Amino acid sequence: MRNEILRVFSFYFFLGKKSARTKVFFMISSASALLALVIRVYHLAGNWTETGQVIFQNILMVFFLQFLIIILALFYGTSIVAEELEGKTLPYLSSRPVARAAIIIGKYLAYLSLTSAIMISAVLVSYFILNLDQDFRLADFWTAIRYSLVLFLGLAAYLSFFTFLGTWLKRPILVGLAFGFGWESIIQYFPGTTQKLSIAHYLKSLLPQYITSSGKLGFLFIRLEPTKSVVAVITLVLIAVIFLGLASLIFSYKEYLFED
Amino acid sequence: MSAVIEAWNLSRWYGNVLGISEVNLEIQPGITALLGPNGAGKSTFMKIITGQLKPNLGEARIFGEKVWNNRRIFRRLGFCPEVDAFYEELSGFEFLSGLLSLYGFSPAECRKRAEKALELVELSDVKHRQVRSYSRGMRQRIKIAQAIAHDPEVLILDEPLSGLDPLSKRRIIKLIKEFKAAGKTIVVSSHVLPEVEAMTSEIVLIHQGKILARGDIYFIRELIDTHPHMIRIKSPHFRELAKILATEDYVLNISFEPPDQAVIFETHHRDKFFNRLNDLILESSLTIDEITSPDDNLQAVFDYLVGK
Repeated sequence: MRNEILRVFSFYFFLGKKSARTKVFFMISSASALLALVIRVYHLAGNWTETGQVIFQNILMVFFLQFLIIILALFYGTSIVAEELEGKTLPYLSSRPVARAAIIIGKYLAYLSLTSAIMISAVLVSYFILNLDQDFRLADFWTAIRYSLVLFLGLAAYLSFFTFLGTWLKRPILVGLAFGFGWESIIQYFPGTTQKLSIAHYLKSLLPQYITSSGKLGFLFIRLEPTKSVVAVITLVLIAVIFLGLASLIFSYKEYLFED
Repeated sequence: MSAVIEAWNLSRWYGNVLGISEVNLEIQPGITALLGPNGAGKSTFMKIITGQLKPNLGEARIFGEKVWNNRRIFRRLGFCPEVDAFYEELSGFEFLSGLLSLYGFSPAECRKRAEKALELVELSDVKHRQVRSYSRGMRQRIKIAQAIAHDPEVLILDEPLSGLDPLSKRRIIKLIKEFKAAGKTIVVSSHVLPEVEAMTSEIVLIHQGKILARGDIYFIRELIDTHPHMIRIKSPHFRELAKILATEDYVLNISFEPPDQAVIFETHHRDKFFNRLNDLILESSLTIDEITSPDDNLQAVFDYLVGK
């Protein structure tokens, strides 16, 4: 099974690199670097008083956490099965000697690698644009790496959930949009344990707490009752594993028909 | 000889629509053609025996094993689907070597096999062009190449000649016959009788999801030959043609389409008619622009066979 997953991974990583969708999302993610550049110029001109760290936190929370990882995971995750059905290419896969579960896991890993590369490169470039100066320390570098790892965990969890939706539902994109931009945002404003029913809660729990009291968009954190870091990491990993397992299980037994 | 493909009471519905019903079939090595009009159930049968679909009732086996999700069987099976679908961003070579990599071949082996398959379908010169830029005939040939590239023992080809020009058709038919000579089992589907005749004499007639008849081409021909055929000939000499052929006893009826300079013959002996027509063209100075069979879609023949 491991070899089969690797074979599917290699094929779809190659295919994904060539796809127009990857190029489009690379352009979208590059918007953060452009934004960072504009802000840095403003900052250097003395028009922006907040530190580079705080500005980056805001970009991280609004652009990366609440937009980019959701949109990347949504479009790549729900397409894992849908693109084969719409493109009618599923017979090429399902008549090859690879387990159906390996198709899902291999494609998931290929798309996770691609989307992570797109996102992490944008995170690092934006971070360095905003923070690279004579005061830059090695610790700042580790901060950027930490942010990237948190976003990677979020991407893995969201991608897995949307992969599950894609294998289960005929039209997963609408449900995915409602979940990603509806449920995930609204639930944050509920106090108590309710907010733990979202992926975003665990991601925000892993990000620095000082942002809750500062920054222009600090209101996004007003009601955050953070979960312990270890628990948050374990929960995100479990979400990724459980939904990927469910997606593989559904795909192994479900029949998919083209709309001829 | 033991059957390579076995189907027992295979039935499949799509909601209220019948795909196939109680199909019992044993297929031995060699070429077997599934002949039937569009919507007859040929593709459904092929999808079941290649593990794309599950039957609602009955069972399909290849080499004695169930097909659904069976990786051992998929290794020995090549499937060319009917749909014109590809990973369009890839070149022909990338498409083949990518799919070959799913069999676990080494990269070098994938390249070698992809090159060989491209050579067999005569696409070597355009192998680095994106599939999206291929013509219909080239796309059909690359689809066949992906089915044969791993050298399978069983080949399932759904309408393999569709969209091909006459020369490409001849090449593919030759290729299919070479596979037969190598002792492999090939199942092809078609709704065009002359195409099937060029490939094999072993035919399964399928209609409305049921097997109507099975036998060699001569048996089927006998059934079909009692049904009158329509042959439309477009020629500047269409009146002379009609005058000469009107004397033949196998010509049952003649009608004209003067605006198109065409004449339609109705005959119950297509072979005799075409033999005479060939002689006529060779003997005289008559020129012919086009020959078509208005009812060559088999639907008319099937309707006749099922007594509609």
